[in-house]
Amino acid sequence: MTNFFPLPITNVLAELEVGEHLYWHVGNFKIHGQVFLASWVVMGALIVASILATRNVQRVPSGMQNFMEYALEFIRDLAKTQLGEKEYRNWVPFIGTLFLFIFVSNWGGALIPWKLVELPSGELAAPTNDINTTIALALLTSLAYFYAGLSRKGLGYFADYAQPTPIMVPFKIIEDFTKPLSLSFRLFGNILADELVVAVLVFLVPLFIPVPLMLLGLFTSAIQALIFATLAATYIGEAMEEHGEHE
Amino acid sequence: MYSQNIFYNLPIHGNVLGSLVLANEGVGINFDILETNLINLAIVLGVLFFFGKGFLGNLLGSRKADIEAAISKAESRQAEAAASLAEQQKKLAAAQEEAKSIVAKARESSVRVKEDILAKSKTEVERMKSDASRDLASEQERVISELRQRAIAKALVEVESKIKVGLSDEQKRGLVDKSIELVGGGN
Repeated sequence: MTNFFPLPITNVLAELEVGEHLYWHVGNFKIHGQVFLASWVVMGALIVASILATRNVQRVPSGMQNFMEYALEFIRDLAKTQLGEKEYRNWVPFIGTLFLFIFVSNWGGALIPWKLVELPSGELAAPTNDINTTIALALLTSLAYFYAGLSRKGLGYFADYAQPTPIMVPFKIIEDFTKPLSLSFRLFGNILADELVVAVLVFLVPLFIPVPLMLLGLFTSAIQALIFATLAATYIGEAMEEHGEHE
Repeated sequence: MYSQNIFYNLPIHGNVLGSLVLANEGVGINFDILETNLINLAIVLGVLFFFGKGFLGNLLGSRKADIEAAISKAESRQAEAAASLAEQQKKLAAAQEEAKSIVAKARESSVRVKEDILAKSKTEVERMKSDASRDLASEQERVISELRQRAIAKALVEVESKIKVGLSDEQKRGLVDKSIELVGGGN
């Protein structure tokens, strides 16, 4: 993981830092430490929430259990509408993980006062505002849908690239590259842009004016999490779809 | 906001722990309220809590109520089902009892009918046997009497022929005497 997406606008807008990272050196890799720290916080929050929800399971759910069951139901419905009644069950964990991680990352980035903690370099923010995170998530989605297609149809999965006509083959191949690309850039761009807009506004007008934009940011980042999870589910469902003889 | 390029530019070629330690030296806490955007965050969090709490509370409350209703409904239906099961089992037991009694009755009556039939057929056989023996006896009698008559007839014929051949007076008298004696002249 190198500095994949440097945006050198530091000179344009006062001291806004983009592309400044807290580098940790692992072997020959330089990794973005602030992303890891924020990811750990997000993961910790999710794990704690899960433990709290399942620690004392009641028949009539209340409190945390009720909330997490509601979240699970939401994710299950999402997977069910995209994958169909027959297949969705196996994919709920993957899609749910994507959704919860992205959602909590986005909202955590927008709601937790990360700037209280001052790092030697770079600053803490949503993990999803780093392109490496979103690319990792998108590549996992690609792996997931290739796995889904191959495990369902064997190598016949690639034969389906020629469905309904062989003309589609190059487009389908291009799609395999554009899917992770669009997934990762959409999420990364939205979250980074959102945080940048808020940061810039805070610079210009420190009080009250950024609030509507922050609320809007909450809305869009929730939507982004939903979009990412839905698209991942759609790709997986597409890969498993039967073509040709079974209609 | 503070780019501390001292650490950023340091050529670090150590292991992870070393670099972590080195990186952590610059960690601090920024208490600048305006710069850390605390007030805006507080407002946003407040708005979120104010609206979210009611919304989420309603959502979760209705969810809980739905679940409770569903559970109580299921429980009442379970109780109902258990009651009807018990009732049907009772009915089943009664029916089995009845079936048993019917079978026992049938067995009893079958035994009785068998005995009846056996007795009847025995008496019938007896009757037939006695009929047959009676028939046999009468036939025997008939045959015997016929034979006797035939023998008598034959004897008479013989006697007549002998008489025709001739008897002396002596003989005739002797015969008459004998006959008189036979008929009962003696007493």
